[in-house]
Amino acid sequence: MTVMRMNKIYATIKTCIAHRQSCIMHPASCIVNCALCIVLTGCMSWDYELDDETFDAPAHGLFIINEGCFQYGNATLSFYDPQNSNIENEVFLRANGMKLGDVAQSMTVRDGKGWIVVNNSHVIFAIDVDTFKEIGRIENLTSPRCIHFVSDEKAYVTQLWDNRIFIVDPRRYEVTGYIEVPDMDMETGSTEQMVSIGRYVYCNCWSYQNRILKIDTETDRVVDCLTVGIQPNSLVVDRNNKLWTITDGGYDGSPYGHETPSLFRIDPETFSIEKEFRFRPGQSPSELNVNGDGSRVYWINDDVWQMDVDAVRLPVSPLIRYRSTKYYGLTVDPLSGDVYVGDAIDYQQQGIIYRYTSSGEPIDSFYAGVSPGSFSWKLK
Amino acid sequence: MRLNSIPYIVHHALILLCIVLCALCIQSGNAQSRSTGLSEVVVWGRRPMKEIGVQKTVFDSLALKENIALSMADILTFNSSVFVKSYGRATLSTVAFRGTSPSHTQVTWNGMRINNPMLGMTDFSTIPSFFIDNASLLHGSSSVNETGGGLGGLVKLSTSPENRHGFSSQYVQGIGSFSTFDEFLRLGYGNDHWQMSTRAVYSSSPNDYKYVNHDKKVNIYDDDKNIIGQYHPTERNRSGAYKDLHVMQEVYYDTRGGDRFGLSAWYISSNRELPMLTTDYGDERDFENRQREHTFRGVLSWNRSRDTWRTTVRGGYINTRMAYDYRREVTQDLWADMTRSRSRVNTFFGRAEGEYAAGRKWFLSADVSAHQHFVRSEDKNVIQQNGDKAIVGYDKGCVELSGSVSAKWQPVDRLGMSLVLREEMFGDRVAPLIPALFVDGLLSRRGNLMVKASVSKNHKFPTLNDMYFLPGGNPDLRNESGWTYDAGASFNVASTDVLPFTLSGEATWFDSRIDDWIIWLPTPKGFFSPRNVKTVHAYGIETRLNLALKPSADWLVDINGSYSWTPSINEGEKMSPADQSVGKQLPYVPKRSASLTGRLSWKSWCFLYKWAYYSERYTMSSNDYTLSGRLPEYFMSNITLEKALSLKPVDLQFKLAVNNLFNEDYLSVLSRPMPGINFEFFVAITPKFRLN
Repeated sequence: MTVMRMNKIYATIKTCIAHRQSCIMHPASCIVNCALCIVLTGCMSWDYELDDETFDAPAHGLFIINEGCFQYGNATLSFYDPQNSNIENEVFLRANGMKLGDVAQSMTVRDGKGWIVVNNSHVIFAIDVDTFKEIGRIENLTSPRCIHFVSDEKAYVTQLWDNRIFIVDPRRYEVTGYIEVPDMDMETGSTEQMVSIGRYVYCNCWSYQNRILKIDTETDRVVDCLTVGIQPNSLVVDRNNKLWTITDGGYDGSPYGHETPSLFRIDPETFSIEKEFRFRPGQSPSELNVNGDGSRVYWINDDVWQMDVDAVRLPVSPLIRYRSTKYYGLTVDPLSGDVYVGDAIDYQQQGIIYRYTSSGEPIDSFYAGVSPGSFSWKLK
Repeated sequence: MRLNSIPYIVHHALILLCIVLCALCIQSGNAQSRSTGLSEVVVWGRRPMKEIGVQKTVFDSLALKENIALSMADILTFNSSVFVKSYGRATLSTVAFRGTSPSHTQVTWNGMRINNPMLGMTDFSTIPSFFIDNASLLHGSSSVNETGGGLGGLVKLSTSPENRHGFSSQYVQGIGSFSTFDEFLRLGYGNDHWQMSTRAVYSSSPNDYKYVNHDKKVNIYDDDKNIIGQYHPTERNRSGAYKDLHVMQEVYYDTRGGDRFGLSAWYISSNRELPMLTTDYGDERDFENRQREHTFRGVLSWNRSRDTWRTTVRGGYINTRMAYDYRREVTQDLWADMTRSRSRVNTFFGRAEGEYAAGRKWFLSADVSAHQHFVRSEDKNVIQQNGDKAIVGYDKGCVELSGSVSAKWQPVDRLGMSLVLREEMFGDRVAPLIPALFVDGLLSRRGNLMVKASVSKNHKFPTLNDMYFLPGGNPDLRNESGWTYDAGASFNVASTDVLPFTLSGEATWFDSRIDDWIIWLPTPKGFFSPRNVKTVHAYGIETRLNLALKPSADWLVDINGSYSWTPSINEGEKMSPADQSVGKQLPYVPKRSASLTGRLSWKSWCFLYKWAYYSERYTMSSNDYTLSGRLPEYFMSNITLEKALSLKPVDLQFKLAVNNLFNEDYLSVLSRPMPGINFEFFVAITPKFRLN
């Protein structure tokens, strides 16, 4: 409400009071005058404009990608400085004066640029990881999920509802081609996380899917597929260059099937399942991660769990106990080994991030944005 | 976006000051009037026993028939303090009645409930107000008189015979901004026994209004793809086109011996695109996001009235077919489906009700109703592991039974009491008995000063989607339930002398606690699932004031105002130690809302001013004052100027409507653009037929 508007209101009120005598004689005009008072105060101005803030982020820090609520367009980006335990929320909006978008899915940091994939806004923003200022964007995407760099000139972008993985030129911010995924149609298409081993990129196919793809980065073609369990939702590579994926097993009543979820270790050389660790029926493991030296894998299954990559059976006790709420995101500091868990609480408020040591001792907690589901590290 | 709340407080203080000044002026005016011999009218008629203690808002027929482009969402916005959550022009519009969720408002049309049994809510943007002859709100407990499950209340809509003799017709053409065309045709015939009416409305628009997109910036690049400039683009509402056809046929037969028969049949064909979000960087030409609906609703009724009793029997049928398609153009003219959802609802309805007036002191009534739903909901695009296509969805039949008995007792003229006992069943779920007790009393005949109070315990069953939707449906949900208390006072004064006027007003306090509130939450598997999570304490005050003045033979002033203060607080258990939502206002429920309409008529001219206000809405359950966590308050002003001409063969009416008069930049829902100032011009032609 501006000063000018306030003045207008007061002037109108004074007019009303000055005309009180005439109001007595003419109640109708009085009512009209008073109605005008209300009407004129009805003039609203919403100042949307924000001054762009200047940031200078520390060399080591954690980007927290807060999904927001689907169809609300309230995804946000937070940055946490582990050294000083300082959190800055909504940094994309504050640095750029515009919203991040609807359903921020993931972020990849490479060579001083952060690539934020905003799924339901059909865009990938590239930002300067020090200032959080936008430096470019990739558009013309179907429903992007993750971006993975093959080289400085080439990156792959996985999609939901598309049977193609998009090839982009990160220097020009342009889509340059597509990788057709065999035996997948547009309607149920789903490709998700990617990792590189040698000249190959491996990718899990998640929604109503059950495969790991092997892509030759020289020909940009899928050269092999490996069937695992129903809905592998995440994919990492360990210190032994073994692939790990975790399935959620689908859901009861799904025509695609419902089965006991599993953790798989895959030998990329033979592209075959080396070991399957089965969970209990009805469980929903997700968010498979690996620590900095690739010696341990972590995941969420109500509690937060960790396991040595050479282990022969699943652990019997968790690293971090379930807190009667929903752990939604998970990451491990590649340098310190600290474990960060995002709690979405009710998915309609700022989620909280709990920080633990590698042995599960609490260190810090802080609020981020709505549904903190994904993380990305800015490393020295 | 500014976060300073002080000016808002000042603003409301000023509004209150204006109201106080207005009241002073009226009081002084009344005093002056009395001194010049104005006599007060004393109304001696008995109030209807059927409405003992009932909190009811009746919409003026002038408001309903204001123009053919209006939906019931517009009527509710400007003529009540119910919060209408609009996703855009001609887009989904739901209501939050007394701070509750959209599915907590029951909606009946000619006695048949028309809430979608899958979703529980009603889209008021798909109900043209020109198709409704009578509309009222039953607040809180008062809805128990009609049906259960109305934790917020009930919107009661109906049609009625025109009671004309001979042929009648009317054609209205509207042409407005954004290439909007609205056409309305009504043909009627009536005699002593028969009344027939056919109505049709067709509305279409690309709906591509311009707005400044504050959520986005367009980049200006140099040759090396470096950003050298940014600006907020002026965009058009993308993917917002609509084409809606409504046809209604009514036939009424009155035996003139106390029996009346009626048939109302309403067909809707709606084809609407779903507008893109302000944060969407996709090219609208690459995507199609469309919802199509075909709905038929029909009600047959028989009503027999005698001196002391009346019975009504209704039978009805609803068929709704909805299709939702989300497609992307992969290559030139090759479109791939991403989502292809289909749903079909068949509902058979029956209701019988009877009323008996046992002397002057007792009034007894009972009703029983049944809705048999057959619902098929499916997403057609799932491929099985063997490569075969499969359907995800559910196919369920479910019967809803509701019955009530009530006794109204008026031991003396000034005191009335009413007890309603309702029992409801949904499939194999049986709700505990729903009791509602109403009391009212006439404190003073001078000014018809009445006080009312009521208490009820209501239950709301989960919807079919809540229980069976795949994936995520939760058949183990508990019913939402809660106690509601109401108390209020109303008055009504009128004069017919020098300055004829009527002045009426009402103020009501309400308090309700709703347990086991159902919300949909994401799951680790990537889909949403409903859970009972919250106890919500919704309370507040609703006020209404109406003043009609006739200063002279040619002048008429009619002013209606309403104001509501409706905190709706989450008082449930914390979901975790970090949960900040307990003790906070529910998202998207404004604490304060108000509306005002002023109609000034002079001879055949009429000027209408409409104003609505909603306080800020939080978008987060924790009411965070983050940059994206709230929507600022907004005020909306519309005006209409009309002129009627009566020629020998026809009556003509010309009308210009200006919406969003002050070109407010506002949002009702995050990332959903709303139109700025826009215009529509209407011409109504009403031929004069010779009476039989």
